[in-house]
Amino acid sequence: MTLVLDGIRVLEVAEYGFVPSAASVLGEWGADVIKVEHAVRGDAQRGLSSFGVKPGQDGFTVLWEPFNRSKRSIAVDIAVPEGRDIILELASRADVFLTSFLPAARRKLGLEVADLRAANLDIIYARGSANGQKGPEAEVGGFDALSYWMRTGLGSAASVGQPTILQQPAPGLGDIQSGMSLAGGIAAALFHRMRTGEALEVDVSLLSQGCWTMSSSLIAANLAGREERPTPDRRTFENPLTNTYKTADGRWLVFAMMQADRYWPGLCKAIGHEELIDDPRFVDMPNRARNAEACISALDAIFASRPLAEWQEVLAQHDGPFSIAQRVGDLNRDEQAWANGYLQDVDYGEGRKLTMVTSPVQFNGETSTLTRAPEFGESTEEVLLELGHSWADIARFRDVNAIG
Amino acid sequence: MPYKPGTKLRGIADTTQVVVIRAPAEDIDLRCGGHPMTADNPGHTLVTLDPDLAAGTQLGKRYVNEAGTLELLCTKGGPGTLSIGSEVLAIKSAKPLPASD
Repeated sequence: MTLVLDGIRVLEVAEYGFVPSAASVLGEWGADVIKVEHAVRGDAQRGLSSFGVKPGQDGFTVLWEPFNRSKRSIAVDIAVPEGRDIILELASRADVFLTSFLPAARRKLGLEVADLRAANLDIIYARGSANGQKGPEAEVGGFDALSYWMRTGLGSAASVGQPTILQQPAPGLGDIQSGMSLAGGIAAALFHRMRTGEALEVDVSLLSQGCWTMSSSLIAANLAGREERPTPDRRTFENPLTNTYKTADGRWLVFAMMQADRYWPGLCKAIGHEELIDDPRFVDMPNRARNAEACISALDAIFASRPLAEWQEVLAQHDGPFSIAQRVGDLNRDEQAWANGYLQDVDYGEGRKLTMVTSPVQFNGETSTLTRAPEFGESTEEVLLELGHSWADIARFRDVNAIG
Repeated sequence: MPYKPGTKLRGIADTTQVVVIRAPAEDIDLRCGGHPMTADNPGHTLVTLDPDLAAGTQLGKRYVNEAGTLELLCTKGGPGTLSIGSEVLAIKSAKPLPASD
């Protein structure tokens, strides 16, 4: 893939998922990304169990790998003066600084806009926060499970009809969406700087991304005068062709034939029930809506008669939009995802490979080439030598605990 | 002769390569897979791995002795285990707080 950010230097002082994932996208687009990890603790993600998988399982950590690939790691203690000097030295030659640190930590460590601009007037300063830089909660941290998922109504909307409130269904769900937005914002800021010479501050929050996700929901709720989306009952769904149907093996088919009259005759034919085409109860949208329960019940009986794999084959011959409800494990075998390079086996050396998802933007129809996420502080010496420091300097930095 | 930081070393019994990050002022008996490491390029593996020292060395990991006087960074992994004489070197890793989502 064309490395659109080739030559751009990015300095990341961040932890967890959101901001690191943004830097990782910039790395995938060709930027030289240096991630600063705490000299002793490393990024908190390194210790995080997720999905019931402990950190270091087969040498991999669930939330570390996808958010930190395509970058280098250095281990620095910014609270030590020599460590902070290293950060400012890196900032002096960087194009972009990204941070997830809270305002109080940025003040304490001297990582505010003015500090970075004193080292480099042209540096783009990108912040990822939980709830934004203004308002009563500007100083408060948070996580996507809260600010993105729960606070915006996403969690409540997903839980309608459920016996309990559903937590985020995918690890780092809100983080990775917010990170993509931050990466896009930074790319636009780089473009702006090139045209005008002006270096901007860029902000994305988990809350802003969650609000964005709820864009249509908010309008719908206000127009409908409701606090929550309607409770759907699949047995009486107004349009049986945007409904869900259970197969003989307990899996689900999902239809999205919104302009249902275009598809009804073809669908009936495809599933081997041409007698339904002209059934007066189901002949067009108004009739199917009036007789939804009967229509859905008829389709339920039909789809319950054969397993998912058979229906998938049958429905693939029909032009109505549908999907099988895949599980994340099914994604490993999704031919279309592989054909487009959305999945990639990433080389971790010595024959070790990890299947990862590439970031969603492609240039010139090419997919990016991912490089493995770094070990803790793997490039500390390499980066310091690039900055012109000697091995004697490095020993001194280590003696004062400025580096890991 | 004591090792100097920045020195690149390789195993003679396997593919392992390391760079010396810090080293004690005195001579040490640094081994990989049970055999002395070399700064030269042997081009091929010369001897057989000691099966008791074949737990492997991983790319990108740092290895330290117990005294904390030696630190090596692995630049190419291999099946040999790093040791000073019979003291097997340990992986130096980040120490994050345990957490679960």
